[in-house]
Amino acid sequence: MTETASSHRARASRLRGLSTRAGVHMVLAGYTLIAIFPVFLVILNSFKNRRGIFTDPLGLPGEGTFSLEGYATVLTQGDFATYFSNSLIVTVTALFLILWLGAMAAHALAEYRFRFNTLLGIYLILGIMVPIRLGTVAILELMVDLNLVNTLLALILVYTAQGLPVAVFILTEFMRTLSRDIKDCARVDGLSEYRIFFEVVVPLIRPVLATVAVFSMIPIWNDLWFPLILASGDATKTVTLGVQQFIGQYTVNWSAVLASLSIAILPVLGLYALFSRQLIAGITSGAVKG
Amino acid sequence: MSDPVTDTAKDVRTRRKRRRSGGLHIVVFLAPAVLIYSVFSIYPLVESLRLSLFDGLEDGTAVWAGLENYATLLFDPNWATQFWRAFWNNLVLFFIHMVVQNPLGLLLAALLSLAPRFGSAYRTLIFVPTLLSVVIVGFIWELILSPLWGVSETLLGTIGLAWLYQPWLGLESSALTTVSLISVWQYVGIPMMLIYAALLSIPDELIDAARVDGLNGWSIFWKVKLPLILPTLGIVAILTYIGNFTVSFDLIYSIQGALGAPNFATDVMGTLLFRTFFGQQLQVGDIHMGATIASMMFFIILVGVSIYLALVQRRLQRYEM
Amino acid sequence: MSELTLQDVRKSYGEAKVIHGVDLAVKDGEFVVFVGPSGCGKSTLLRMIAGLESITGGDVVIGGEQVNDIAPADRGIAMVFQSYALYPHKDVYGNMAFALRHAGEDKAVIDERVRKAADILGLQDLLKRRPKELSGGQRQRVAIGRAIVRDPEIFLFDEPLSNLDAALRVQMRVEILRLHQRLKTTMVYVTHDQVEAMTLADRIVVLRDGRIEQVGTPLELYHHPENRFVAGFIGSPKMNFLSAERSGDGTTVTTHGSAPIEVPVQPRDTEGAVTLGIRPEHVGLVAPGAGDLDARILVAERLGGETFLHFDLGDEGDFVVKADGAATHESGETVGLSFPPQALHLFDAQGAAFAPRDRNALIG
Ligand SMILES: Nc1ncnc2c1ncn2[C@@H]1O[C@H](COP(=O)(O)OP(=O)(O)OP(=O)(O)O)[C@@H](O)[C@H]1O
Ligand SMILES: [Mg+2]
Repeated sequence: MTETASSHRARASRLRGLSTRAGVHMVLAGYTLIAIFPVFLVILNSFKNRRGIFTDPLGLPGEGTFSLEGYATVLTQGDFATYFSNSLIVTVTALFLILWLGAMAAHALAEYRFRFNTLLGIYLILGIMVPIRLGTVAILELMVDLNLVNTLLALILVYTAQGLPVAVFILTEFMRTLSRDIKDCARVDGLSEYRIFFEVVVPLIRPVLATVAVFSMIPIWNDLWFPLILASGDATKTVTLGVQQFIGQYTVNWSAVLASLSIAILPVLGLYALFSRQLIAGITSGAVKG
Repeated sequence: MSDPVTDTAKDVRTRRKRRRSGGLHIVVFLAPAVLIYSVFSIYPLVESLRLSLFDGLEDGTAVWAGLENYATLLFDPNWATQFWRAFWNNLVLFFIHMVVQNPLGLLLAALLSLAPRFGSAYRTLIFVPTLLSVVIVGFIWELILSPLWGVSETLLGTIGLAWLYQPWLGLESSALTTVSLISVWQYVGIPMMLIYAALLSIPDELIDAARVDGLNGWSIFWKVKLPLILPTLGIVAILTYIGNFTVSFDLIYSIQGALGAPNFATDVMGTLLFRTFFGQQLQVGDIHMGATIASMMFFIILVGVSIYLALVQRRLQRYEM
Repeated sequence: MSELTLQDVRKSYGEAKVIHGVDLAVKDGEFVVFVGPSGCGKSTLLRMIAGLESITGGDVVIGGEQVNDIAPADRGIAMVFQSYALYPHKDVYGNMAFALRHAGEDKAVIDERVRKAADILGLQDLLKRRPKELSGGQRQRVAIGRAIVRDPEIFLFDEPLSNLDAALRVQMRVEILRLHQRLKTTMVYVTHDQVEAMTLADRIVVLRDGRIEQVGTPLELYHHPENRFVAGFIGSPKMNFLSAERSGDGTTVTTHGSAPIEVPVQPRDTEGAVTLGIRPEHVGLVAPGAGDLDARILVAERLGGETFLHFDLGDEGDFVVKADGAATHESGETVGLSFPPQALHLFDAQGAAFAPRDRNALIG
């Protein structure tokens, strides 16, 4: 949808003066540099030895300064494989639950007329306004009672509860725009309400599901608060917490600190490179509606 | 019509007739989400509110305390200084985001909406910091601003401003501002995206009409586009307000620790809650005071949201576009 | 057996009553069209027959069996929707085979039936395409094919052609008619396009505000509308209405100062004013003074093959006469209008028509 709009505007902007255009690019390029330079600097220096880091922080790693010693320390000292697999298990499972349960709830809210439909819809999206962290005191108590402290399941459950409101909100909005005819047609074709959801609705909402997935993933992967409080044991540490504590211990070993930061950054950047189009399209379309 | 094909069809049909489905599937669709959400999000919030009305005894039982905890938090000198300082710091944080992050986001979005070349590349890259964990961002900046490494000094030196350099994060006077600016750096992508989307949704015809009416680029922006995206600016403001109370913890905890170093200069509600709840150094953890602080945050957010809904939202009616 | 019977069928959404007790019997193999203004409940009624809406009161009976509580898939119906409702993630073949596959039908049987339906509709070359690679007409053909494949006892159509452009609509209309002649299956068809209704229907059901106004063959409705609503709804341009005064036993009327006109209807005792109705195509044009009324032409619309003359007859508003394309009348000219008695309709104050004296007298 933005295709024609932006091409239209592109034409309009081309008419304007050269100096205006130069100004626009200076501001945007300047800020882009500010945005990525620090990240770049960290990744760059993670491939250097100590001398390289301190004598020439802005130079490229080269002869005499290139070194993977930081990565070596991180991989031998920290248990990053475990942290990664913990983060992965937590994020993927929570995401799966958010999408699955969220889509089912959104489908019910968008498709069926029943009493308290509107009320339930409001209840489910209340969590957008009220951060779940404010309930931490009681969440910890609850997890103690359920014997879930220091388990990944505790994190999964909390993140699912945290992610559901936004997912339900976006998916309900979208599902209301789906044609009613196609679901009715499936009913005439003899599908049960469950199969209509899985075989007709889910394929139709796939693109939006991807957007919601990327959206919900970031805060889960990056969270420090709940891993710190609910699962700080060695076996259940996530990458974010692992890096935080690793750096706490190795403050003087700069190569190791930089390497551990890079290890935490690179997968996120990789995923972003894959999904940025989808993510940005999602934010833009969601914002237009919301 | 009695070819074999249709006959088998009729057989299939007469086998057994299902009844129209009742409402059970609605329950099945809704129950899991409602259950998890209620147990792990709504119940804890309500339970926190309840806990804040009780006091813990030595033997582990709790007694009804009414609003005593709130009185303690607000008026007891030990607590009140901490509470008001944290609250004030949160407000400063909010203020800095409002005057730096959101105008910057608006500027970037406005420039992007002119569809310059490489626009989508700029947009994608400016959003990168937003994706990173606050912990990572905190450490990145701690390293960059560290006097040990000296990168900042070197960089300032290249433009002849080396004398300006200070260990900003370590100074009481500048720590909070520095932390805020780091957070702005990280999150400016969000207002930028939201505003950019709103700007894109303004129909071209409207801009053309304004041009025909004799408005130039600047006045089109101020007199046509800005009024139309005011609702989005309102949403950005309320998101900034809510985020300010939650996300600020991660950043401050990872850079400055749970005490809001230096000397509580960056202590916010989040760190205060964490410290109170878990105890720190000499102080032992106190769930009831923790719940009280969390509830206070809840009320503060509620007040903000209500003001937004009552005042801002009503004034800024949406224009059909 | 595939008759369809509706017995006092009612529907309300909460407080709002949408269908107020509809009785209708559709015979085996009959093509019945529901028409009526927007919001009158056509779709609702059709969806109740399909089982997509619950029934508030009354019975829906298909093939002698009450189906109120039976799932849509087991009623022996197939439905074609206005928006085509094709599954976007399946190709044409997959769309047509979907219901049978779901019912666990044999692969070979499915294939045979899909190909047969594709043959009927000329879709043989499109079977591997996705819906988004098809034109509107092709999509609608797939939607119809999908219904054919299920070999239903009753076809239900809800405005299947209204998303198509005019030319395509005419073409598809003919195809649906041919399909009915070939399959001889009962069909219930919803439209608000009266040309579709007139050309397709064995019988037309005119609905208004959730009630049946009249049921009959297209010509019955055209020639003998039972009330003013049906008279105005069927026919294009719509019937002209003139307020009139009765004299004598009530079948002789005067309108706009005309000489008394004898209308060939059965006398009936009613109170209040009456309305005279005549279709634009039945009004004769004569020299001034030679007809029943004289009137001044307001506007002449020339369409080539025919000319529509608009008159201003006081309180009645627009009065239209359909004239020959070669008619030379100009706007501003005064002409005489003559009303052939057998083309006249008379309605009482409640809008109910006076019965004609001779039901079989059709106007040429
Ligand atoms: N879910 C609903 N809740 C309340 N009222 C409804 C609902 N669905 C339909 N209605 C009402 O029922 C009436 C009949 O609707 P229906 O869709 O059957 O009309 P229709 O004759 O098909 O009109 P159209 O020609 O515009 O398709 C309308 O007045 C409509 O407002
Ligand atoms: Mg309809």
